[in-house]
Order: sequence, then C-alpha cells, then structure tokens
Amino acid sequence: MSESASANAPKPSSSVKLVLLGEAAVGKSSLVLRFVNNDFQENKEPTIGAAFLTQKCSLPTRTIKFEIWDTAGQERFASLAPMYYRNAQAALVVYDVTKPSSLTKAKHWVAELQRQASPGIVIALVGNKLDLTNDGGDVSEAAGAAQNESDSAQDGDEGGDEQDDVQDAVTGDARKVSTREATGYAEEEGLLFFETSAKTGTNVVDVFTAIANAIPESSLKTGRSTGAGTGQTSLGNRSTEDARVNLGDRNAATAKEGCAC
Amino acid sequence: MIPWSSFVQKAQSLIDPANFNIPALSSPDHNPSKASLFRQQFRLPDSQNPLQEITADLVLPLPNSPANQGDGSRRVDRAGNTYTGRLHLSERFICFSTQPTSFIPSATASASTTWTGQTHGTGPSGNGFILPLSCIRRVERLHSANHIFSLALTTWNGLLNKQQEPNFAPQRLILQLVGSRQACERFCDTLKKGLREGMKEVDSLRIVVSDCYSEYLLSGAKGKGQDGSEADTRQPPDAGLGLIFRYPGDARKLRDRSKMRLWGEYFRENGRNATLIRQPTFHKLIRVGLPNRLRGEIWELTSGSLFLRLHSPKLYQQTLAKFEGQESLAIDEIEKDLNRSLPEYPGFQSEEGIGRLRRVLTAYSWIDPEIGYCQAMNIVVAALLIYTSEAQAFFLLSVLCGRLLPGYYSTTMYGTLLDQKVFESLVEKTMPVLWDHLTKSDVQLSVVSLPWFLSLYINSMPLVFAFRVLDVFFLEGPKVLFQVGLAILRVNGEELLETQDDGSFISVLKSYFSRLDESAHPRSENPKLRAITRFQELMVVAFKEFSGITHSTITETREKHKGAVLENIETFAKRTSIRNLGPESKRLSVDDLGTIYDRFYETLYQWEQHQKVIEEETRRQERKKSQRLSMLAPPADTQVGRVGLGPSPTHMDYDAFREFLAATSKWAVADSPGPSRKASSSGKSALWANRRQPADHEFMQRLYRKWATDPEEGLNLQNVVNGLARLKGSPDIMNNINYFFDLYDDSGNGQVDREGILKISEALLFLSRRGFEGTITATPSMENLNSSGDRDHAENSLTTDEKFLGSVSAFIRRCFEYADPSHPENQKADQQDATADATEKLDSFAIGDDEEDDLIDIDDDDDAKSTSSPAPDATTQSAKSTTAEPDNNAHNRSASESANPALDPNNPLHITLPTFRMVVLADELLEQFFESYFPQSFHLSDHPHPAALAASSSMSSNLTTFSNLGSIRSPGLAAGSVPVAGASGGIVPPGKGLRGVLDNIVSDGIRMAAEVKKRMDEAQRDLERNALGREEEEDDDDDDDYPRREHTTAAIPGGIPSWGAGAYGADPERRSVVRDTDRDLLEGAEVLDGGKEEKTSLLDGKDDAKHAPRKVSGSAASAKGRGSPTVHDGEVISKLVEFEP
Repeated sequence: MSESASANAPKPSSSVKLVLLGEAAVGKSSLVLRFVNNDFQENKEPTIGAAFLTQKCSLPTRTIKFEIWDTAGQERFASLAPMYYRNAQAALVVYDVTKPSSLTKAKHWVAELQRQASPGIVIALVGNKLDLTNDGGDVSEAAGAAQNESDSAQDGDEGGDEQDDVQDAVTGDARKVSTREATGYAEEEGLLFFETSAKTGTNVVDVFTAIANAIPESSLKTGRSTGAGTGQTSLGNRSTEDARVNLGDRNAATAKEGCAC
Repeated sequence: MIPWSSFVQKAQSLIDPANFNIPALSSPDHNPSKASLFRQQFRLPDSQNPLQEITADLVLPLPNSPANQGDGSRRVDRAGNTYTGRLHLSERFICFSTQPTSFIPSATASASTTWTGQTHGTGPSGNGFILPLSCIRRVERLHSANHIFSLALTTWNGLLNKQQEPNFAPQRLILQLVGSRQACERFCDTLKKGLREGMKEVDSLRIVVSDCYSEYLLSGAKGKGQDGSEADTRQPPDAGLGLIFRYPGDARKLRDRSKMRLWGEYFRENGRNATLIRQPTFHKLIRVGLPNRLRGEIWELTSGSLFLRLHSPKLYQQTLAKFEGQESLAIDEIEKDLNRSLPEYPGFQSEEGIGRLRRVLTAYSWIDPEIGYCQAMNIVVAALLIYTSEAQAFFLLSVLCGRLLPGYYSTTMYGTLLDQKVFESLVEKTMPVLWDHLTKSDVQLSVVSLPWFLSLYINSMPLVFAFRVLDVFFLEGPKVLFQVGLAILRVNGEELLETQDDGSFISVLKSYFSRLDESAHPRSENPKLRAITRFQELMVVAFKEFSGITHSTITETREKHKGAVLENIETFAKRTSIRNLGPESKRLSVDDLGTIYDRFYETLYQWEQHQKVIEEETRRQERKKSQRLSMLAPPADTQVGRVGLGPSPTHMDYDAFREFLAATSKWAVADSPGPSRKASSSGKSALWANRRQPADHEFMQRLYRKWATDPEEGLNLQNVVNGLARLKGSPDIMNNINYFFDLYDDSGNGQVDREGILKISEALLFLSRRGFEGTITATPSMENLNSSGDRDHAENSLTTDEKFLGSVSAFIRRCFEYADPSHPENQKADQQDATADATEKLDSFAIGDDEEDDLIDIDDDDDAKSTSSPAPDATTQSAKSTTAEPDNNAHNRSASESANPALDPNNPLHITLPTFRMVVLADELLEQFFESYFPQSFHLSDHPHPAALAASSSMSSNLTTFSNLGSIRSPGLAAGSVPVAGASGGIVPPGKGLRGVLDNIVSDGIRMAAEVKKRMDEAQRDLERNALGREEEEDDDDDDDYPRREHTTAAIPGGIPSWGAGAYGADPERRSVVRDTDRDLLEGAEVLDGGKEEKTSLLDGKDDAKHAPRKVSGSAASAKGRGSPTVHDGEVISKLVEFEP
C-alpha cells in the first residue's frame, strides 16, 4: 500500500461512512477484506450483525477514509440494517453474478436505501464472483480475451443474452446474471455499477475509487451527505461505462483513477 | 415418549396457571405467570407446573461413614449442612431452593451469599436441588420425636451403572417439612402420585445419565484403565470434539486436572448429573471455570437442557431420521455457513466436526421451523460441540433459543434488538458519563455490542474466555451477558471516553479483547495482584460491581422497550413488504397498501389468537395435559403471531379471509351472529365474541379461489393485494365486469351456464343487501319522471335497493334470453350463433315473452329443486319473514317453462362475456354497481391511488354522460327491454306500488340501451381500450336533468331491436321512446318485482329513493314483445321492421 498522501503535500482528508448490503454469501465481507487487506479467505465466518473496518483511498485532490460497515446478509438480519446504514454516505449493494435471486435482493436494498437512507447517498451496485464466469477467470492471462468478450457482448446488444447462453453451454460459465441486465437496472436507478471478483481482486479497488470520486465535495465538508443527487447520477453513468470497458482490466482503471489504497 | 409434534408446538401459549389449584408462590408478582416463573427458576420444561409448595429444611447427612472409610479426602465440615428453603413439587420434579436470605451457615462460613441472591428468579437459585422424580428410589417417613414431618429421600445416584463403583454409598437426603399436618400430608400425597409416574422414566434416566461424563469419571473406569490391569471396556462418553481435536486453551494453564479432581469430590459428596445437590461450592466451582470434560455436562445441568433430554432422550436421533433426505431453506442456509463456523478450531476443518455441526443445526431447524436457522447459531453450536455430544448440543440450543435468548434468532430478531435497547438503557443508567459521550460523538453502541449478545461473546473474545462467560451464563441466565457487557465498557471507560467515532470505539475494544489474558496490573509490586488477568478483573467487575443487574432488572427493562422495538420492526417489515409487492400493487395507493397490509396481518393475528383459544379449550375439554417439551419465554406466549415477534403466519385460509373481507366490506359481515363454520363446536372465546361475524357466501368462496395462487395454501399478502388491485386499481367498468364474469366462469372457457347465471344474481343481491352507500344513484331524471309522469306516490318511496332488486331480476331474465344454447342441436329456435341474424333474435325475444314471472322465481325454483347452491342466508331468511310471496307466480310456471327453453333444465345454455357485459350495461343500476359500488365496497384507506380516484370521478362522469346519452341520442335500443314484461302484464296483476318503477324501467331502459350499444361497439372492437370512459367524459357538460327528462318522458319501448343489434354491433344512433300510455302494457313486468319483493325487506337501504331501478329496460322489451310499440323515431322504426318476422 503506497502512501502517496505522505509524499505529497497533505491533502484534505475526510471520512466517509460506507455500508455493504446484499444477500447472504455473495461476498460482501470478502470484498471488504480484499479492499482493506488485499487478502482473500475461502471460508470467511459469516458476519454477525456487522463488521467494521476502515481503509483510506487517496484521490488526486483529497484522501477519503472509508469507514466500512459490512453487514450480515441473512434475510432475518435485514431488520438490523437501518441501524447500520444510518448516516451512511455511500452504500455498496452486492449481488452474486451466478445467482439471479441475489440481484432481486439487491434491488430491494437499493429501493430501501433510496427511500430510507440519507438523501444523496451514493449507491454502487456490485456483481461479485466474476471469477466464476468466463469474463473474470484469470485476469492476467485472459485479460485481453475477457476484454474482447465483454466488448463484443456489449456491442452486440441484441445478441448479448444469447451469447451468454452460448458461452454457458460451451465453457461451463456459471454466470446467471447478464451484465446487460444489471447495467440496465443500474442506469435506470442512477447507480454506479461494477462486476468484481473478491477472489482475484478484479475491479475491487475500482469500486471504492469510483465511490470516493462520486461523493460530492459538499457532503465531505459537512461530514455528512447533504443531497447532491446530480453529481451522483452523472458520475454513475460514466463509471458504468468504465466498468464495462474495463472488465478484467484492473490495472488500467486503478492507474487512471489514481487510487493508492 | 412424547410425539414429535408436541415439541414443535412451542409457540403454543402456556397453560393458564389459573386452572391449577396451586397456592400462590411467594415470589414477587411479575407479569409472567407463576408457573412460568417457577419453570424459569428451576429450569424446568414447559410441561411442568408448580403443584405443591412447602417450607422445608434440607438436611444433608454426613456421608455414610462406614462405606466411606477409604475416602480420606472427604472433608468433614461439609457434612450435616442444613438449609432452610422452599420445597416445590411439579408433575415430574421435586425442587428445593434456599431463599436468598435464608441460607443457614450451619457448618461452613464459606457460604457466599453474594452468589445466592443474584440468581434468584433466573436459574436454580442458591442451594438445593432439582430432582426428576424418576431419580428417587425410595422415600421414607422418619419417626421423629419433635413431631417434625421428616422425609428421607434415597436416589438412584450412582446405581444406574452396571459397574458398581468403589466405595459407593447411596445418596440420601432428609427433608423436614415445616407446615401444618394437612399441608404436609397433601404434599406427600402429590409426591406419591408423582413418584409412581416417575418410575416409568427410570429407563430414560439410565440412558441420559450414561451420556454424562461424571458417571464415567466416578465409575473409576478411568483409573483402572490406567493401571492396565483391567482393560477398560467402557468408552468414555462423548464429551465433545475436544476429546478428538483437543480443547481450546492450555489445559495446564487452565489447571484442568485439579478442577477435575475438585469436581470429582463434589460429585461424590453431592451426587452427580441428575441427582446433584447444589451447595455453595457448586457455584464457586463454576465461577472458576469448568474443566473441559465436564463442561458440557454442567452446562446441560445448569441450563436445564438435561431435563429436556431426559424427557425424550431419543428426540435428536429421531428427528434426524424422520427428516433424512429432506430439504429446506434452512438447510441451504446452514450449508453456506458450515465451513465458516469457528474455522480456526481444527475440529471444524474436519468432516467429523462439520458433520456434527450440520446434523445439530439441521435437526434443530426441523423441530423449530419458526426459527429455522439464523446466522450466529452456527457459531454458538460450533462452540457447544467442542464440549458436548450432538444430542447435548441439540438440547442446549433448544434451551438457548427458547428461554435463555428469547427471540434472538427469530426471523425478525426482535429479541436481539430488544436486548440491545435494554443494554443501552443499562449503560445510560450505570455509566451516564460514557453514555453522554457516546451520544455526543454519535457512536451507536448497539452496533458494537450486538455481536456480543448474538454469539454469546464467542467470536468477540478468545474462545477460552468466552467459554468462561458461558459457564456462568448457563447457570445464572441472560443477565450475565449484560453484566459482562457493562463490565467491558466500565473497564475500558477511560479509553472509550477519548474515542470520537465508531471506528476508534471498536478498535479500543478489539485490542482489549485480544489482551484479556494479560495481567490487569502489570506494574503492580504485589505479585498476587500482578497475577490477576484482565479477564479475571472483568469477571470481578461484572459480578461484583454490576451485581445489581438482576434478572428482574432485565425483565423490567425489556418490558419497557418491547413495544417500541416491536413497532420499529413492524414498520420496517411493512415498508419492505409493501415495497416488494410487485407491479400489480402500484395500482393502489401506498395508503391503501398500508391498510391492506395492516388489515391482513391484523386478521391473521386475531385469527391465530382465536384458534389458539379454541385449541386450548379443546385440550382442556379433553383433559389432556400439555406435553410441550420445549421452553418458551413467557413474554412470547401472549402475542404469538405478532409480526414483530418473528415468524407469523403468512397465509390466510378461507375462514380468515372471511374475517378480512368483513373488515373490508360491509357486505361481508353476516346479517345475524350465526354460528361460524369452524368455531361453532368449540364455542366462542370472549376475544372473538364481540366481533362482527363474517358472512359466508359462495361469492366469497369464489373470490378466495380466484385470488389464491393455491387455495390449499391460502392467501398471502401478495394475493390479496393483487386481487384488490385488479378490482380497485382500474378505472374501467369493463374491467370490473370482466372480473366478475371470470369469477363465475368455472370452466375457464368464457362461458357461464345457467347455474352460474343464477349464482351471479345471488351474488349481486348478496353484495347489495346492505345498501349502496350512495355509490349507486338512479339518475335524477327518474325522479322527475316519477313525480311528473306518474301519480302513484308509493314508488317515490322505493329505495335504490328495492330498485336494484328489480335490476337483478331483469338481469336474470335477460341473461336467459340472450343465453346461447350449449347444445344448439337441442333447440331449433336458438340455433343461431352469436352472429345470428337479428330477426331470429327477435324470435327468441318473443318466446321469452311469456314467463317473466317464472324467471323471477328462479331462486325459489332453485331451492325447491336444490339443483344449485342455496340462496344467501339473508335472502332465504327474509323470504320467510316476508311471506308475501305471491302464489300467483307459480300458477303459470309450468306453462312458461314449456314455452321458454331457457328455463328448461334439459336445455343447457350459457352466456358469454359479451352477453354478460351487454346485460349489465343494459341497466343503469347494474352499470353503476360494477362501475362504482362494487370496487368501492372494498374499503381501504382514505387516500386511494390517484388512478383509482380518477376512476371514481370518471365513474360519476360516466353516469352523467350516460343519462345524457340517453337523452341526446335517445337510444332506440329498447332491446334492453327484452324482458317483455308486457306479456306477463296481462296475466299477472301488478304488484302494488310498482307501477312507477316500471315507468322508470321503460324510459331508463331506453337510454340504457343506447349506452349499451355504444359501449358494446367499442368493447367489441377493443376490449382493452379504456377510451370509453374518457369519451363519455366529454359529454359531462351536458349533464343536465331537463333535456333528459324531456326525452325520457317521451320514451317509448321501441328500442328492443336495436339493443339486440347493439350487442352485435349495430348502429348506435338509434332512438326509441316509450310513451306513457304504453306503460300499461308493461305492467306485467311488475310480476318480476312481485316475485322478488320479499327480498326488499332485507335491504336496509335508505329511503331516499332518488332513483329507479334499471330493470325497466326489460319491461320495455316486453312491450315490444307485445308487438305494439309506438315508435316515433324513424331509425327505430326501421330497425323494428328489420326485426319483425
């Protein structure tokens, strides 16, 4: 973890409360673990209530300290969630790209956040377990291929789903939620959107960087988000584009966004 | 053996202690019943009730010296202890406990009164015993000089082993009862009875005890095995995964061996497992931490789960066997977590450990489906399994979920949330400075402390320490969790006061937990002080400084916050649930959805309560004692089914649905409080008695079946919302008519047969029998017509309801007239299909001419023949009460039957949706009924969806337009008047006061017909188009009585043909008017009303008879049938000509 902040003149630093929501076992804790410790555990203990972790994210103009509330995913813990997303400025709603029901649950969470959380909360929709699909198998080796694949999938809007199916049949791709479906939803709701793999690290840092970028300055000064929905939306769209193009290409994105977490 | 099902019934309420003749307990009166307090204090299963209670002295005699000569270690000062306390007797247990203050330090000075006081009300308090009666081998009455009533109890302690133990002496204890002779005798009588029952359980006892490590320990098998002289054939009982994978912590550092020795001694003196007697040493030995191999057993004993196991020793294995191979949501969830439960412990990296964990969690999810599986249970059970066998862990979990952690793992986790509130308020009370700081820096304490409680500190503290907390927790109850939590904050108070946010707050505590084994006073010069670890310090703070936190503190604080917590959860659940109802629900307003939600769950809740009471009564009547084995926290029993408390029913059966409808719609309330279908046998509870009784009508059954995805399963909220959304969410009358038709289209082929038609009409009457609440109004012009055109004042008093009756009978008539034969070959006259020539249609009209009166009587026919479903209760009742039924109706029935094939049961017929629509729209009242009354009769919130509002407004505009249409276009479609009352008019004398109705009928029918025609045209073309209403709105401005009146007064029954034609897409611009003079011809139509007249009495409608019923159109048609309509309008004439044969 490079401490770029210390090298330069001290940048303004502010902390952002971020909450992770999503169905059980979609990899919320693993995403956090990857982001905070750049580590991955195959058998992570289920989160009881919520876990709290922090990590800094350095942007060109400022440093964001994420206070991450990683919540339990089991359905019955849902009634505890308001306790955790209270005052959150950002939320990561996670689903599992191999499990369609988890996207449904994610949509419920988005709806809940949009109505109940602080106004102007930055929400990122994250499809995790990309490593189980063809797009995210092995980053280094298949980066180009993955890029091509995802590109072509994006290009051929009409045939996107079919193509997924074909891939499924041919290669045993476990993907059950098409990128297109999730992107469409994210755009509709003005969410940031990423597909990640906590296991390989694909796109994980990007998610947090994009969130850091999307947090409006104004809300940072007050320390609390004070409703800047417009910035969120435009950023959301842009980042969604990025995510599409950069699937499986983590380094490029990281360099561009300049996050030195 | 208790059947499995009884164990499942844990949600059942506890038996009301009032039903037992028990003397009042001396314990302070709390909200929970005495029986439940009793069970809590002694950790007894829910099947136990306090039967007898008496003050007594417990004398523990010196161990039988001759037999104990070899035992040099026995301390003499233990012997001869006497305790004064209360002796309790339940069905299967005899319990003794010293009162906190009554401990008599007769022999030892080490009586730690601090221990005894705090457990009062929670666990087995103080000193004494809890003996299953099956443990008692013999009871002797001792002869005593002082006339003291003394009993000597000899137990099975140590005698259940096949292997005789060395130096064994039977356990014997003496009880001196203090009380009147009668009281003592009474106690002994009950005891005798209990002992007889207890004998049957000795075998269970043998099984259960053999799983206890203490038996193995005391049998000496271990020692002999070491000698090697006598190969130990006996395997040690399963004392958890620790036996295989080592126990956590350093055994030497934990001084496990010496603890074991001390416990061995204690067991020898005071009995083991089921026969253990608690003396002060017992509590102390627990406080210093249990030895590994005995830990599971002592947990079992102190928590009371041993008694559950004793009750049904094979339950665990049976449950696993019973559900083997079955799948469930809980199992899926369990599988996800198996690999991540205490993964750092080697046992859970092995198949052995994971298999055990899987089996225990799965078995529990089966016996407690309401909880199923909750994350955190995996961690707790994994921890238990290190020290216990699977069965032991299973029963421990049962006690945890049922009593020690009430509601923690429920589907709403209300217990967890509640205890967080309790904890916060205790922090506020005991550490106000810290609390202020937390509030100021906006640190939410519960996010930190919630995992402590939920997983019993197991994943917060290092395992060794968490188990120490558990040792005390199982003995003293939930308050321990609070005490430890408070102590953690107190110990770290200064550091915590410096933290400013959640993050630093958490990290302070994290680092504290990681250093629990370090010295609390590392720099102290006193080596003894230096030796005290942070954990020891924590325990001291917890149990000394916070000794004031007792079970009753917790109970009281819980009670205080419970309402708010439940409300929060319910609000959240409601919000989430409503949001996730799907697209259909968007047609209703949020308020409406809220109302449906509330009413739905309110109904289910009430219904549940109701059923419970009935069940209780039944059980009582059967004199069956409840055999519930599980433990249930007392607060839950009163509010089972409440949403916030966790799994509440989600589906309502038909009977509950009736209740729901009764709360929604007036018509669904029964007319008289008759016996309800199910409850009648078991009697009414007070709870239920004051409620309005829901009606039971075939229509409601149809609605139920229509709404339900699976009628067997019942209706869930989604079903109800979708059902209501279809009815109320659309502004379209066509939608409502279609919906109604679908309800009766049993075969799904778009046809409703004769039976169905009759049922529809019954339903119409059923739905309307309580009046229309102003949603249906005959057009004002009618009144004008009445007053000006007719002289008979009687009809002015006709209510809308009465008029509606007419509409319904006209409906029947028309349905039959326009019905298509189901088997065309049977009927020459009706061979034509829907596209048939209008002229032929006219023929059938003519045929219909003769039997209106019979049609009226159709209900009666039905009853007589019992071919169809019975008429609504109300209808029949009132029919009887107003026996004004005219006999003359019957006189020509047979004749008309033969004349009208529609009435001949041998000629099956049906109507199609277009026909149904046509018939409905032919009548103003029916139209209004479907347009406004029917959807509006479902009362939801006061803030309906804007679309629905639009619907009702467009409805009214429709109505006005309708009248306008009538006047302006002057619909010739008197076809609507097919009913051909005229024909019968000659035969049947007119009923009194109905003439005016007929007048209205005629004129109305004409206007109606125009409307019908227009609509039919449109509907035929495009059923989905809602343009109809809007188009009509354009005519709103013309909503004016005068022009209409002019036209209507001039109306003549000439429209018949065009009505028929309208149905089949003829030109809408036809006009027809009925002349006043023609009314006479139509009077026959009154017969209809005569037949139905008896029904009017049951309508409690208001007398503001502003509006005439729509049936008029029928009579208009009948006039046509007479063949003497006077036609003014050229177009109409032309049509007529077309139709004339």
